Amino acid sequence: MSKITLDLFRFDPAVDAEPHRDRVDIDFPETSTVLDALEYAKAEVDGSISFRRSCRSAICGSCSMNINGVTGLACKTPISTVLRADRSVRIDPMPNFQPMKDMVVHMDPFWDKYSRLKPYLQPKDKDEDHERERRVSPEDMRKLVAVANCVMCATCYALCPVVSVDPSFAGPAAISYAYRFIEDVRDDKRKERLGQISDDYLWLCAHCYACSYCPKHVEPHDRIIDTKRASVKEGLIDAAGPRHALVFAKTVKQKGVLDENEVVVGTVGRFNFRGLAAIAPLGLRMAIKGKIPPLILHPIDKVGEVRTIFDTLEVPVA
Amino acid sequence: MTTAVAAAPKARSKSAQTKRYGFFPGCVAKESCTELFNSTMLLADKLGIELIELTAASCCGASVLNDLNRDIARVLNARTYAQAEALGLDDVITICSTCTGHMRAANKELLEDESRMEQANSILGKFNASYSGTVSVRHLLWLLIDDIGLDNLRSMVVKPLNGLKVAPFYGCHIIRPESVNGWESSRNPHSLEDLIEALGGEAVDYAGKTRCCGFHVQLEKDGIAANMVGQNMRMAKDKGAEAVLTPCPLCHLALDGYQADSAARWGRTDLPTFHLPQLVALALGVDASSLGMKRHVISPGPLLQAHDLAPMHVA
Repeated sequence: MSKITLDLFRFDPAVDAEPHRDRVDIDFPETSTVLDALEYAKAEVDGSISFRRSCRSAICGSCSMNINGVTGLACKTPISTVLRADRSVRIDPMPNFQPMKDMVVHMDPFWDKYSRLKPYLQPKDKDEDHERERRVSPEDMRKLVAVANCVMCATCYALCPVVSVDPSFAGPAAISYAYRFIEDVRDDKRKERLGQISDDYLWLCAHCYACSYCPKHVEPHDRIIDTKRASVKEGLIDAAGPRHALVFAKTVKQKGVLDENEVVVGTVGRFNFRGLAAIAPLGLRMAIKGKIPPLILHPIDKVGEVRTIFDTLEVPVA
Repeated sequence: MTTAVAAAPKARSKSAQTKRYGFFPGCVAKESCTELFNSTMLLADKLGIELIELTAASCCGASVLNDLNRDIARVLNARTYAQAEALGLDDVITICSTCTGHMRAANKELLEDESRMEQANSILGKFNASYSGTVSVRHLLWLLIDDIGLDNLRSMVVKPLNGLKVAPFYGCHIIRPESVNGWESSRNPHSLEDLIEALGGEAVDYAGKTRCCGFHVQLEKDGIAANMVGQNMRMAKDKGAEAVLTPCPLCHLALDGYQADSAARWGRTDLPTFHLPQLVALALGVDASSLGMKRHVISPGPLLQAHDLAPMHVA
């Protein structure tokens, strides 16, 4: 047993105008989890402390919260790994959500984005008599296993910097779940699903790997990349995101290196005057300082080798 | 949740012993951020190390080529490593967080999966190249700390930063995913802080230091990158930062370029953003006027003059 202070975010909209903090001192073993400590504090010190929890073993996905600035499952976080020098642990609700009460947040935006993607199998035939199995080969199943581990804890959504500035972004969990059905051989809505997800937000992923902290190893960042590849393969390329990738690839194939000027103009669209006008102020600020890429970019030595690699792998380019 | 990676002392590479390193500057340091390339070379001179540029190297894939094909970036990077091996170099030094992460990811896949190494070599064989797997990809930041050493750097400082309050900005791909990088904790890295303090500056601790600058999504939708920049720079400024230091030219472009656009939502921040080698070279006595700081959108000139580090007109 040792003395531990829980430094808690407290907010009850029925009583409080503003959130405040409470410091709760407990005698508790450091080898336990943060969730155990919260349960103990609620049972023994202050019954009004609110947080979601259920399974206590990283299966239900309820107890994601922000612990010393790091979001993750409280039931999977040993106290000893997060105890600060003053023997306190700071606990806050997940970021990117509106607090409901203490560590409990309003999950609606997360669920709305998830259900919008119709996260259930939509097979061709209804098979209403349930007379036969729908068989999937082990190889086909392998693609779906990682996402099948998702427990919807929303840790990835809370960590996503794009969600934090643009709530229209679906977030890593929803895209991963869409991928799970896009790649399911039993599903008949692959094209519609890809179309829906490509339309607006798939390509808003910032490639930051914040979702690599997924406590269930879904690796949502990789699932987002998988989904992008599938959508390009399906021919969904008339948007800034896929245009960017395809023009980028074209310049690397031609010159061996990225051609910054061509990628910017090619992504926005050479005749998209409104789009070009939107980036003009930044371009001007840079140009004034002479910070412009060379207008004529020479290919690297032995660029033919790079082209051979692109051709062998049949990489699509603009 | 704490994923601190044990800093096991590694055997010194041949490059570290001979002070001859393969050098992969990356596309942006040769195009819009030539001041990064030039200040890296000046710093190398000062440190007495030789950076041998791999002039036939291609783009690393920069997280974008992955979106089209799962193999292309890996094979392109295998070609780059083959060039380093042919020159007898076992370290490839990068000066960009995105290059670091994606080149390391490619190398990891090649070294851990025989079939992928075979695939790469069968394509490289078409032009008589091959990669045997001896290369390590390391960022200049890691070279400074592991091979030169903080104590050594401290003793080389001739122009201490005089308490300049500098906010570190790591850039996602030099720390995440941790399975690929793992040189230091991705949750709470401190190499840039250590370096800033070794140079006589004061490191500013703020939550934005490991967050994303938005560079890779700047063209996909108006305003996203500017907002991400504003959010992070607001945090830095509120903690007292006077400037930012980044090991990534993509972060530099976003932070330096977008602070003007983010002011409407996040308030004015106007933090000058230094490339890693610029600030190190400055403290080590490299002529400030040769570091290309006039090319920054947010001029560091007034700040450098106020701290008696350089006359206003050089930046």
